[in-house]
This record gives sequence, structure tokens and C-alpha cells, in this order.
Amino acid sequence: MATDAPTATGVSTAEKTAWERIKEPAVYVRLISLVVVIGGWELMGQTGNIDPVTFSYPSAICVAFWDLIASGKMTAAAYESSQILVAGLLIAIPLGIVLGILMGRFRTFEYAVDTYVFALYATPVVALAFPIAMVLGVDFVGKTTIVVFFAIMPIIVNVYHGVRNVDLSLLEVTRSFCSTESQRWRDLIFPSVVPYLVAGLGLACGRALVGMVVAEFLMSISGLGALSQDYIADLELDKGLAPVVLLMIVGIALTKVVNICETKFSSWRVRQES
Amino acid sequence: MSSSDNGLNPTLRLQGVGKWFGSLQVLEEIDIDVKTQEILTVLGPSGCGKTTLLRIVNGLILCERGEVSFKGEVVDGPRPEMAMVFQNFGLFPWKRLDQNIGYALRIQGKDKNEIDRLVSHYTELVGLGGFEANYPSQLSGGMQQRAGLARALAAQPDVLLMDEPFGALDALTRETLQEELLRINEAEPKAMIFITHSIDEALLLGDRVLVMTPRPGRIRFQFETGFGRGRDLEALRGGKRFQALRHYLWEAMRNPDEEPEPIPELNLE
Ligand SMILES: Nc1ncnc2c1ncn2[C@@H]1O[C@H](COP(=O)(O)OP(=O)(O)OP(=O)(O)O)[C@@H](O)[C@H]1O
Ligand SMILES: [Mg+2]
Repeated sequence: MATDAPTATGVSTAEKTAWERIKEPAVYVRLISLVVVIGGWELMGQTGNIDPVTFSYPSAICVAFWDLIASGKMTAAAYESSQILVAGLLIAIPLGIVLGILMGRFRTFEYAVDTYVFALYATPVVALAFPIAMVLGVDFVGKTTIVVFFAIMPIIVNVYHGVRNVDLSLLEVTRSFCSTESQRWRDLIFPSVVPYLVAGLGLACGRALVGMVVAEFLMSISGLGALSQDYIADLELDKGLAPVVLLMIVGIALTKVVNICETKFSSWRVRQES
Repeated sequence: MSSSDNGLNPTLRLQGVGKWFGSLQVLEEIDIDVKTQEILTVLGPSGCGKTTLLRIVNGLILCERGEVSFKGEVVDGPRPEMAMVFQNFGLFPWKRLDQNIGYALRIQGKDKNEIDRLVSHYTELVGLGGFEANYPSQLSGGMQQRAGLARALAAQPDVLLMDEPFGALDALTRETLQEELLRINEAEPKAMIFITHSIDEALLLGDRVLVMTPRPGRIRFQFETGFGRGRDLEALRGGKRFQALRHYLWEAMRNPDEEPEPIPELNLE
């Protein structure tokens, strides 16, 4: 932030040097843990303690990963999968926000829909795959719908709680100064919902990935799900696990993006964070 | 304000106000008149209904009995001529100090230059110059309290409702702001209701002091301090009348159940 320099209360936001960061226990404990687990797994694979037919090991998966990328198969599959993932999220996020806000703000709307929302929230969405396929088909529309169902629940529920938990004493401040309803949304309700929304988006991204793979396994087989399943069926486990590695990477990347949004929108929470 | 207004007509009038929260009666038979340029200070034990009283005057909650009127009109909701300084500050944590102080002005739709001018004026006035870019969480309790005061002052209301506005301040800042408040009250005539737990403060600032009793909150007694406009706080403190009133209030606060010996020369109501 460019504006926080000249103040006397100055919260020290001094960046840690790379070396200081390495010395933090969080970093080296994680590093050691990774080396032990991945290294141990690799060692078992190399020394022949793992049957390559029933399981694989890290270096083999890496090689398979590059092979699949080089042959263009991985990119083609990823492109196919990303279509339903992106379409699903593009529908789920705005729709979830709107439904959450309406539920949080209007009692009548809440009473009209809360039974379904909370019932769906408690239902394993996988169980919906079959009825959805019956109604919407097993192709793009059906698959996207599954992703939407997976992703939308945490958004609705979080936004709803965000609207509900608006600080009542601040609500009174807006009333006292004769704020209009739209000003109240701008000054109070949206800003209080943002942290809840961001947490919901984090969950939604993870669940959208799950929904995507579930859709590709259970409906018309396609994309990364298909790629993985085909190779596993052919007992080429290293190639079968490579798409899973890609999904992990995408999952981590999406979480990171959400985290970055979170810090961007909550620069006012400086003191609590430091 | 009409030109015939000499600062003595009641701007604010409470008649027979009674308030219940469920079955709990919090206020009973409250009659108060506050004149256009008068400062009414209110003393009373914790929980006796002082905040509730201000919320009713502000139109944030309605009373079950009686009514509040402002310049002859019944108050049935908040109006821009009144501004409240909240006991818990009520700052928006995601707004910077300058945005918080300018909040009421933006709500009123003032243009940007005007807002900037007023914000920097009142920010300086409460001694927060240089902290404009800070968020409330980066400010001390006393600084947040001053920000809440600046926000209400910047709105330039006719009625200023202040709920223990100096409670979190150190003695020195407190004194500076007391003088500032008196100066503002003269420069831009306002009716003020000022809640405090400090007997000295009630006397220094008040044209009239009102003492409340708890459960349900009632007016125990009220009197004119008679110190007049343009009072010099230093001289006032040493004065005989101040000392006598101070002693009287101490006795009254210490024995909630019996009225202290009246002091005839004070002409207390
Ligand atoms: N919204 C509410 N619902 C129920 N009871 C309430 C509510 N607000 C206040 N009360 C009760 O009303 C009484 C008076 O509260 P109020 O906040 O007006 O006291 P106060 O005089 O401002 O106290 P303090 O000096 O501690 O700020 C208290 O007993 C409180 O419990
Ligand atoms: Mg109070």
C-alpha cells in the first residue's frame, strides 16, 4: 500500500528476508517432511518394493507427466476439462452471491428457499449425478451443472452468513446518519460480506475441481478424468497418476489466487495480521 | 434557525418518555427540554438508560410512552440535523480515518472539495492530523473516540448527542477537547446532550446538569450551573460555586437513596 508510510502508529510491515524465512520452523519442517515422504516413496519404487503394475513412484510419474505434455494429450484433456470447470464457476459464483445475499437480506426469500439450500448443503452432491444426467444429459450441460452444484453451496452459505453477521452497532451508525439503503450496502454490507465470500470462494474452487472429475468419471467420459482412467485401465499407473498431479497443481494455484484476493481486500486488518 | 431565536427556545423536547425492552422498563416519565444553544450534561450510574435515552432522541428506537419532538416536529426516525457520538465509537473498520470522519458528509451528498475541507479541519481539531490514512485498528482507543467525535462534528448538526465522548481520553486531551467543544458550541450554536461519568466534566461543560436514577431510569434532579457563555475552565474550577456544586453532586452520587442537604444559595430546582 502506498499510503501507509507517514504515520506515527506505523505498523511495522517490514518484509522478511529470504534467509529469515528459511529459518522459520514452518518452512524447514515442511521441507524435511516432503523430502522424507517423497524420497522414501521414490526409494521404495527404485529398489523394487513397489509393483509398477499396482502402483507407481514419483520419478516415473514425472517422466509420464512430461511425456503426456509433449504428446499434446495432457493439454488437450486439460482444455476439455477446463471448459466445464470455468463454465461451472462462472455460473456458480455470481449465482451463489446473489442467492446468498437475497437469503441473508430478505426474510421471505430465506423462508422460501432455506429448506432446499440446507438440504442440498448436507447432501453428498455425487448422489445427484445420476438424476442430473437423466434430466440434462451426460454432456457439457450435465457436467457443468454438476460442477455448479458442487461449487455453489459454500458460496451461498458463506455469503448468507456474512450478510447475517453484519455488525448491528454499525448498522445503527448508518441509520443514525440517515444513510440510504444503497449507501448502506456500499459502506457496510458488502465490506462485511467480503471476508466470508473469499472463504467461500476458496472452498468453492476446491469443490469445483472435485465436481469436474466426478462429472468426467460418471457421465460421458472426457478430459483429465478420462485420460487418467484410460491409462489406469491399461495398467499404466505412472501415466494414470500424471493428470492427478496436474489437478493437484491447479487446486493449489486456485487456492493461492483466492488467498491473494483475500489479502487485497482486507488491508484494513493490518494489526490483527501482524 | 429563525432570526428571533436567541438560543433559548427549546429545540428538543421530551415529554413523558417511557421505554421498555420486553418486560424490563428502562426509562420512566422523562421530561427534558434542551434549548437551541444549550449544553445538557447527563450523569447517572451505569445501566440507568443513558444510551437508551440518546437512541430515542436520535430516532433509532421508538419509545412506548410519550414523545420526542425536534423544533416542534415529532421525531419518528433519524434526521440529518442530529448527529451522535457513539459510546463504542462505531467506526467502519475497513474505512481509513479520513473516510470515517467524512462519512456523514458523503451520506449527505456534499461535494468532494467541501468534504475534504471539512474533514481536514475537524481531523486537525481533534488532534488526529497525520493519521488520515490509518485504519481504526491501527489507532488507539482514545484516537478512535476522537475520530467518532470528529465525524459527528463534521456533519455540523443542530443537535449533537454525545455518549461519553471523552471516556477513553487522557486528562490533557480531555481538557483540550472540552474547551474545543465549548468554543464550537459558541461559534456554531448547537443543542448538545452530553453523557458523562465525570462530575467535573458535567459541571465544566453543562449549562444544565441532569442526574438520573436506575431501574427504571428516571430524572432524579436537574439544575442550571449558571456559569454562562465564554466560561474560563481554569477560573471556573477554582470558583466557590463550582466547588459547592461539585460537593453536592458527589454527595448525591454517593447516596443514591437520599437527597443531599440542599444548598440554598445555589437555587437548585
Ligand atoms: N436492546 C436492548 N435489549 C434489551 N435490554 C436492553 C437493550 N439495550 C439496553 N438494554 C438494557 O437497558 C438498560 C439501560 O441500558 P443503557 O445502555 O441505556 O445504559 P447506560 O446508562 O448507557 O449504561 P452505561 O453507563 O454503562 O453506558 C440496561 O439494563 C440494559 O441491559
Ligand atoms: Mg451507555
